[in-house]
Amino acid sequence: MHQQPENVFGRRRFLQGAAMLGLAGLAGGTLASCGSPSSSSSITFWNLFGGGDGARMIEMEQAFQQQNPASNFKAVTLAWGAPYYTKLAMSAVGGSPPNAAITHLSRLRTYAAADILEPIDLPFLAQYGVTENDFLPAVWQRAQFNGKLHSIPLDTHPFVMYYNVDVCRKAGLLDSDNNLKPLQGPEALTDAFLRAQKVTGDVGLSLEVQGTTVWRLFNGLYKQLGGDVLSPDGTQFVLNEAHAEQALNFMSNLTLKSKVANPNIDYGGSVALFGSGKAGFHWNGEWEVTTFEGTMNFNMVPFPNVFGGSQTWADSHAFIIPRGATPDQQTKAATYQFITGLLKQSFTWAKGGHIPAYLPVAESAQYKALKPQSNYASDAGVAVLDPAAWFSGAGSQFETAAQNSFEGALTGQMSVPQSLQLFHSSVQRLIDQPVPLPQSVSG
Amino acid sequence: MSDTSIQQQVIQHDVSPSLKAYPKRASRWRFDLVGWGFILPLLIAYAIFLLWPILLGLRMSFFNWSLVGSGTNDFLGFGNYAEALSDPDFWSSLWNTIVFTVISTPILVVLSLALALMVNGISRRVQWIYRLAFFAPYTLSVTVMTLIWSWMFEPGFGLLNSVLNSLGLPSVNWLTQPGVAMLSIVLVTVWWTLGFNFLLYLAGLQQISKDMYEASALDGAGWWTQVRHITVPLLNRQTLLILVLQVIASLQLFGQTYLLTSGGPAFSTRPVIEFIYDSGFTNFRVGFAAATSYLFFILILLISLGQFWFLSRQGRNS
Amino acid sequence: MAIQSATIARSHKATHANNAYLGHRFGKGTVYVILTVVAIFWIIPMLWAVDTAFKPETETTTIPVSWFPTHFTLQAFQEVLQAGDLPRWYLNSILTSVIITVLTVLLSSMAAFAFSRIPFRGRNAAFWLILAGIMVPAPILIIPLFTVIQSFGMVNSYWGLILPQIAVPVAVFIFKQFFDGLPHELEDAAIMDGASRWRVYWQIWMPLSQPAIAAVAIFAFVASWNNFVWPFIAVTSTEMMTLPVGLATVQTSYGIHYAQIMATAVLGGLPTLIAFLFFQRQIIQGFAGTGLKE
Repeated sequence: MHQQPENVFGRRRFLQGAAMLGLAGLAGGTLASCGSPSSSSSITFWNLFGGGDGARMIEMEQAFQQQNPASNFKAVTLAWGAPYYTKLAMSAVGGSPPNAAITHLSRLRTYAAADILEPIDLPFLAQYGVTENDFLPAVWQRAQFNGKLHSIPLDTHPFVMYYNVDVCRKAGLLDSDNNLKPLQGPEALTDAFLRAQKVTGDVGLSLEVQGTTVWRLFNGLYKQLGGDVLSPDGTQFVLNEAHAEQALNFMSNLTLKSKVANPNIDYGGSVALFGSGKAGFHWNGEWEVTTFEGTMNFNMVPFPNVFGGSQTWADSHAFIIPRGATPDQQTKAATYQFITGLLKQSFTWAKGGHIPAYLPVAESAQYKALKPQSNYASDAGVAVLDPAAWFSGAGSQFETAAQNSFEGALTGQMSVPQSLQLFHSSVQRLIDQPVPLPQSVSG
Repeated sequence: MSDTSIQQQVIQHDVSPSLKAYPKRASRWRFDLVGWGFILPLLIAYAIFLLWPILLGLRMSFFNWSLVGSGTNDFLGFGNYAEALSDPDFWSSLWNTIVFTVISTPILVVLSLALALMVNGISRRVQWIYRLAFFAPYTLSVTVMTLIWSWMFEPGFGLLNSVLNSLGLPSVNWLTQPGVAMLSIVLVTVWWTLGFNFLLYLAGLQQISKDMYEASALDGAGWWTQVRHITVPLLNRQTLLILVLQVIASLQLFGQTYLLTSGGPAFSTRPVIEFIYDSGFTNFRVGFAAATSYLFFILILLISLGQFWFLSRQGRNS
Repeated sequence: MAIQSATIARSHKATHANNAYLGHRFGKGTVYVILTVVAIFWIIPMLWAVDTAFKPETETTTIPVSWFPTHFTLQAFQEVLQAGDLPRWYLNSILTSVIITVLTVLLSSMAAFAFSRIPFRGRNAAFWLILAGIMVPAPILIIPLFTVIQSFGMVNSYWGLILPQIAVPVAVFIFKQFFDGLPHELEDAAIMDGASRWRVYWQIWMPLSQPAIAAVAIFAFVASWNNFVWPFIAVTSTEMMTLPVGLATVQTSYGIHYAQIMATAVLGGLPTLIAFLFFQRQIIQGFAGTGLKE
């Protein structure tokens, strides 16, 4: 290091330091204001759609942009489940929420009760041509909280049955029109799966065991038998043990007794298994329709009547407006315009398998001609959501508790009673926690 | 001035500050004013962003404090603490953290020492290549590191499984199989942070005089004896520092698990910090999360103090 | 102390003619082989990431995997830079890291100067109070710190990111250690001439403290650049995210486009890697310094 007179060095460094500080302070100061909610008519939209859904949502956004060139919006996708919902809550609480966001209706009550949503302004919404009459009453009901509309439904996505047409034909399960002969009751279904298994040589039914599918299947079956899991306000565990055991027994028999399904398989594996033709049937949400389209000969029907009902698990996506997201009229107008604009693109969304909530699309000939997507449109009316509780909903602690409990019954690590016992104690623990919401979810 | 000459001066001069230069009769308040003036900026930041949160967190832990809403602050006394202590999820997250620390710490200490020993023994001109190789991962953020490794671990197309398959071995579910997932976390952490310990050891090794080895070799000491009785004791300061830092850093595990496994499968890799994050921010229960934080803080404190005491005793005895 | 000086003097010799006992025991060749193999394993993950980033997307998932696609391309990088907020995240990271580094060095050196050089009442108490902060691990505070920031309305703002990261007790400790070792005669003359303490600090001590400043600045910069936990919590909108947070949170259209994901990894990791390459000497010396402290 070379010698420098200390004074000169000091002065130069002082100037450098001061300049840097000044610059930084200036930049920091001016940019500090950039942290506030988006100004005037540029809006932010958060969703959790990846994969095929993500691509479809982008398609809808682009169509909206073309129709509204002046609209200035930005769409952001976050990881599905807890990461998305955590960030959504924190952004609302922190004062910089997105202007519009997607939610699952199973989560709506929690977020509305948490007081971080803005109720939808119905007259304002009507200005954009969207009213109550445009939605199925069952779905419209679910979008309410405390008697007020808190979200605008986009779709219902139920748990359905896929089947491989070629495999089923060889197994003698199709009728003369090449449609699946109606299957009802546990024996008929198991028999069908066995026949399909003989054809594929692998499994008869492809079913994810290591994930949420287990809960979704249970919920549908249990509801067909009748009963609730939680009391309406989410404060009591009211599971009908007999019915629960019956449902879970049926499920575990598939993997352990008749062995028509693989007990150790994750989501991706179950999709790949059906997609590669190694399974005759697949129980999953309808959203995988585009995965199979073009690569195999398949069809979709509503989830079968196993125990005397047509109930099946479902959830809905809906648009919400976080509290504080529309501080002025301009932003509000831009937000409502955006939401209703996307809503009117629902047909694109329906191609991804979802049942559109927007009736003008759902009742259109275009949608009805969409096969196999329109096959299960009736499910929108019989769909069962997760029980209402502050800890419940899509990707919630409740679903995790259910999944962790039931998986053991299907893999054989636990007996069915043990599995239900674990479910009971896990959920009871959630119930016993002090509720961190200002009001009850049953409001 | 070169750095070594300054440090030579460091050694040679009296280190206590001299008062000789200060005017004898200056009133003490002038010094007080100047002194406090110098430390005030830091003290203010420290008070607002370290001390106050500590106190606030303590207060929050006694209430049913929520992330959302404002009217949910029911007083719970020690309710949150009692719940945490009886919560199996809390204990399992604690267990995961401890398992991770116990497995990764010896590897990170011994492996880094071994590599430092080897690198120390080769020509100085090429040492920089190995220094770069081992330390480069440390310069990456946890996000970049986990992006790279989630691609390595990818079940279908990742490099690891591809190599295994080409050797005729079955694929491994690195991140989704219970048991394996934690080992994968250990693996990436070792890859990521070993460079730091390695550099510390290398610097320490390069301070050890060659004469000590020559002298002991003359006495007939073999290689392993030299390592055990000369090298390791002389690296005591580094080892102490590394062990303490390592254990504390391991206990604070969060990023790797949150980004690679999301605490899964079935929370089998979820460490305490992630449990705190989930409880407070995902499940809105910040009061409960604060209580858990304090329980964990007490544990970390006990472990750190215990370490200091135990290791400095060892250092004195050797 | 004499031994220490001797050790320092000899360290020059030691570094040039290193402990070759390992080489004698196993043969230098073996050591080189082992080291090279291990080093290769260490580098492979990063090389693989870079290799993937330059592949056409369709060729990232071919089986068997190969290091060489039909051709290398910049397409993934183009798509990543166009699609996301990456440039914005870079800006955020640079801005916040620079400010944090400057403020950290400033605040901790000022305080250390006072602790080391100014006899004032309450000095010891204040020093131990600040040092006690070393015992508090940052992740413990994330919950109440968020509440504090929230009450200031600073969530999702630059200051909310910066301010909690500038009070660094370890930096105070490092500076104080360094200052304690500088000869006080340096300032005596200036004081005799009537210089204020601030001038002594700014024009005499700081210029002399370049090793300590370099060490603290480099670690503060890299630590704040790579910091994940606090920025992850403090920032909620994508325009305010720093690089590590943005890369981890935003999914956008990457989907399962591995080339793009690896391109973001490369772009994310490059700055600090390059910084290390440029400041290797200072960083190594920073490490060496810890060995020399008493």
